[in-house]
Amino acid sequence: MSYYDSVEVSASGLSAERLAMDVIANNIANANTTRTPQGGAFKRQLVIFAQKAAAPSGSDQVGASGDDDPFAPPDPFDPQNSNPAQVEGVQVLGIENDQSPDRLQFDPTNPEADARGYVHYPNVEIVKEMVDLMAASRAYQANVAAITASQNMGASSLSILKS
Amino acid sequence: MADFSILPLGEATTVMGDAIKGAKLEHDQIANNIANVNTPGFKTSSVDFRSALQASLGEPADPDALPLTTDDDRQFALDAATPVPYDPKAIVDDTTTMRVDQSNVDIDQQMALLSDNTSYQQTVSQLLQEQYKFFREAATEQPT
Repeated sequence: MSYYDSVEVSASGLSAERLAMDVIANNIANANTTRTPQGGAFKRQLVIFAQKAAAPSGSDQVGASGDDDPFAPPDPFDPQNSNPAQVEGVQVLGIENDQSPDRLQFDPTNPEADARGYVHYPNVEIVKEMVDLMAASRAYQANVAAITASQNMGASSLSILKS
Repeated sequence: MADFSILPLGEATTVMGDAIKGAKLEHDQIANNIANVNTPGFKTSSVDFRSALQASLGEPADPDALPLTTDDDRQFALDAATPVPYDPKAIVDDTTTMRVDQSNVDIDQQMALLSDNTSYQQTVSQLLQEQYKFFREAATEQPT
């Protein structure tokens, strides 16, 4: 238990927000991509954030609870297993596709047009991406501020030695 | 907040150590809240270590309440808080909701708490430093 714990928590926030910014940048870069390896137009991607569940305090006592499978890890999402005193930060569960329909544009002479003459463009809205980018960037800054505060607290604790 | 001046010298350092420990726990929770600012459904948690510290000193929770004095052993001391061991716990605040995704992280509030907590920890560290200066003066008989 040290000040590095909280720095690690903030660092998990930094990497999660950075990944979110990477994905947003990818969405903006592919805003007009009509071909992907999966076929069809590019799909807007979203990052799924989740609270990183802390290992419960009694997890080292294997089989002590008398469960069916004594070696089964405790379910981190069971509220009974979460100890709020132990903080682990944030994690990215995955990157999912936005399921909203493609943006259709009538352009029959375009080589990418379908049988009805529509071109399928990605469901990426630049304005929405910009707003998300701003939110992720501000969250990144908040985590940096938290790390700076950790450093200041550690430094002032160390200064007790210098009296 | 605990009044350090009324405590004996050695006890004051213990209380201040507990205060710094509590500020550290609170800082962990605030850092976690800030890291999860964009997590859907996240609920903030905090450590009310100041109340725990007060309870560990056996002080009444309401500082404005007049203490009832006793002048005989046979009288009952009303509301005399008995000291409880110092063990601050994190409490999840799931009573409020701030956003559509059920999260209740208010980033402005968390940044204010962060700055408040950091200042508190630095103040107590400074006070503790002064206490050790007293010890040193007493041990070396030389004012620093």
